[in-house]
Amino acid sequence: MGHPIYSCAMRWWVAVVWIDQLIHKAQKTVDEVEVFYIKGTSVSADLQQKKVDLATTSEDCGLGIRTIHKGRIGSSSTNNVSQWRECLNAAIASGKLATPQDWGGLPDIVQHSRTPLSFDASIRIEPGIVIDLIEKMLKGAAEHPAEVTAGSASLSSATVTLANSKGVRYSDRHTGVSLSLEAICGQSTGYEFDHSCFFDKVDPVSVGERATFFATESDNGKDIATGEYDILLSPLAYGELLGNVFIPALSGRNVHAGRSRLAQSQGETVIDPQISMYDDPLLKKANGSVRWDAEGTPTRRVDFIREGILETFAYDLKTAYRFGKTSTASAIRGGFGGLPSIGHHNFVVDGKRDEVADERVVYVHNVVGAHTANPMSGEFSVELSNAFWMEGGGFETPIRSAMLTGNVFDLHHNICGMSKESRAIGSMILPSVKINKQCIIGK
Amino acid sequence: MPGVHYYDLRHVTGQVTHIDIDNGVVESAGTSFFNKAVIRVLHKTGWGMLQIDNYTPCTGKKFDEILESACRLARITQENVILGDAPHGILAVPSMKEDPRNVSIEEKSSLLSGIEQAARHPSVVNTRANYIEKIESVQFTDSSENEFSYEMCRSGFNVLAVASRNGNVQMGYEREHSIHGFNIRHQQSLGKKAAEIAVALLDAGVAKSGKMRAVLDPELAGVFAHEAVGHASEGDLVKEGNSVLKGKTGQKIGNENLTIIDDPGIHEFGFDPVDAEGVAVCRTEMIKKGVINAFLHNRETLSSVGNGVAGHARAMPGEPPLVRMSNTFIEAGDATEREIFEECRNGIFLKGSRGGQVDPGRGIFQFNAEYGYLIEKGECTTMVRDVSLSGEILMTLHGITLCGNNRTMSPGYCGKGGQSVPVSDGAPHILLCDAVVGGSGVD
Repeated sequence: MGHPIYSCAMRWWVAVVWIDQLIHKAQKTVDEVEVFYIKGTSVSADLQQKKVDLATTSEDCGLGIRTIHKGRIGSSSTNNVSQWRECLNAAIASGKLATPQDWGGLPDIVQHSRTPLSFDASIRIEPGIVIDLIEKMLKGAAEHPAEVTAGSASLSSATVTLANSKGVRYSDRHTGVSLSLEAICGQSTGYEFDHSCFFDKVDPVSVGERATFFATESDNGKDIATGEYDILLSPLAYGELLGNVFIPALSGRNVHAGRSRLAQSQGETVIDPQISMYDDPLLKKANGSVRWDAEGTPTRRVDFIREGILETFAYDLKTAYRFGKTSTASAIRGGFGGLPSIGHHNFVVDGKRDEVADERVVYVHNVVGAHTANPMSGEFSVELSNAFWMEGGGFETPIRSAMLTGNVFDLHHNICGMSKESRAIGSMILPSVKINKQCIIGK
Repeated sequence: MPGVHYYDLRHVTGQVTHIDIDNGVVESAGTSFFNKAVIRVLHKTGWGMLQIDNYTPCTGKKFDEILESACRLARITQENVILGDAPHGILAVPSMKEDPRNVSIEEKSSLLSGIEQAARHPSVVNTRANYIEKIESVQFTDSSENEFSYEMCRSGFNVLAVASRNGNVQMGYEREHSIHGFNIRHQQSLGKKAAEIAVALLDAGVAKSGKMRAVLDPELAGVFAHEAVGHASEGDLVKEGNSVLKGKTGQKIGNENLTIIDDPGIHEFGFDPVDAEGVAVCRTEMIKKGVINAFLHNRETLSSVGNGVAGHARAMPGEPPLVRMSNTFIEAGDATEREIFEECRNGIFLKGSRGGQVDPGRGIFQFNAEYGYLIEKGECTTMVRDVSLSGEILMTLHGITLCGNNRTMSPGYCGKGGQSVPVSDGAPHILLCDAVVGGSGVD
């Protein structure tokens, strides 16, 4: 076993002595073992209309174990750490069922900087701070006549530990601040949110103001006739279509399983040549930034699509070993104790930026039902939310109700502009995109 | 404890067994464990809540310390929460025909593999089958000395077939989930059906968008009831002012033949023996003979909104109770399937569901069928793919002019507030006039 590396000041042997015991025990039975342990706390306050009616703290922990023996991968998880022996036995038993595959070993240790990338030491998990955030959101919301219906603010902090039988002993800390507010004006709704790892990167007053702005401005919408229109998708609306359909098609697992429309398109132009798509896990002050992925592979920038041309797909170790590829350090874990799977850290859509709202367009702030799109073919039809006629950069007539229908892959050939500003939507960093000739179904 | 009006504790422990077979490869198979608790306290004003992973039941001073922590949180709330009176009680959990715990994971894997293999076909490029078995052991106690405990096992499988030809990628998806025990024996026919649908969709046409008559099969009509009526009937949304049904009790929004119900007590996939607040579950007629009749409630929304019964609070392990649907359905009418198609004459028949979404405040919903057929002169003709429906709650229900005599229920999961809970939706075949259909076809 190699010398452990600590990427934060925590005294390893005090915090997680049982992890070394677990690894030692596992090595008597299996070739390799990996331990993922997350422990966190959070505090939140929820609004019912303009009053806080619920305040919550949480204490979360999760342990995920993977074992690899003769190419068979086993796994189990628990949030009762004192039962790590049972969890280890379950992981070993699970491995006996798995189909064996080519396996080139868990990652070796790499010297990483000790400075966490998505951690803000100034964030304190205290109820008084979330109340202050709520009050600021309500102050912003008061700018417009719409009524607040619900909202929440939360603060969180977690420590993630990854250890394996190759000697990896990594530890990282994450913080988060999340805000959301919902509002209604007549029969028109508005919703806004913000999330960051850094306290000074969220703007609660703006979240409140934009929620009531969209509800107010969307009231008394007019109908739109069925036809083809030039549209401007906000980062939120674009993220719904991208995240549900396009990004899964870049997963190496889906590609090799025959579940990706992009599987045969490497080296081809798959979107407008002015657009690039990449994952940059080392972006400063971005929400998904990490130095090592969920399996301990050192992260690096992955250029999926460069100026319209598809260059590569995303891989974790398992998929890479199976198909003779190299991991792109794209392993992520969903939630506490989740197994690693292929994802991304900071997915960026980039390219030439321009004024996108000068000419008359239909602006779409959000869509309803993007998850019902066909992830294989890319076909979708969604209901518009907070849609407006826009000209000269200003919101004009709101559109009452309409559907947008098309194909997520095909519409990327018709993107004719990207806004100068980008916005973080979860782990995606996206501009507003202007798209020509999209079909809107009026009512 | 002084100032404590009420507290409750919901502690859930259990295990999840899963098997994932992808193109003949057992990707993963095994068992994970969880232990989660939620403690809520009403102290002077609103709720203070602790979410605790790996909770160890305790009494006396230790439990008082937990209550005191929750009280400190409650002190920052402002809303004066009053709980409505509701009867407590628990239903028996139906016995399972075959307990999945008595079947080895090797046998489960072999049976699932049979279903996955049945989905193979020369035009199918990917077959995938998943088995999931979740056993929850629930302990509930509150400050009024109500105590309930029960164990529930939900298990089932999904099978996916992906067909591909010249860049055209289509999928067929079948699933079966149950509270009645192990259900993956003799199910190869569903694997075969998934393949047949995927292959047939390669040659399916695209639906034209616009208003038309639509016949919805029981599964999709169930999703319609869930999205168009169920969510807007949830008491918390009504209380917040985020439902178009608020203040409209007694208003006629549909035909005489339309009754829509939620009933957590029936033995379908959304069955709850007792709700997450210890309240006896009860059937609620949300729409009765076309008239807005009652809302779904927990104790808090019952006291502030009224009109309905409590017993509709549901929660994932470790999460707070929310007002949720369980088993939601349109009551059967007296029309035969033949009569419905003949009455439709020319239109579209929509089958299966890829899910849906609703904005209850705005009263707009959207959902997507798995596939459909054109109806010409009362007969199904050309197969069509990627068809969605959208509409406005207060107007669309008038369009349901016929309800069939053949109601069936389909299992699924419903997301709200970051929580996903098991539900079932159902209906007979229904005829929907003036349906707003979204497809990618053009005239």
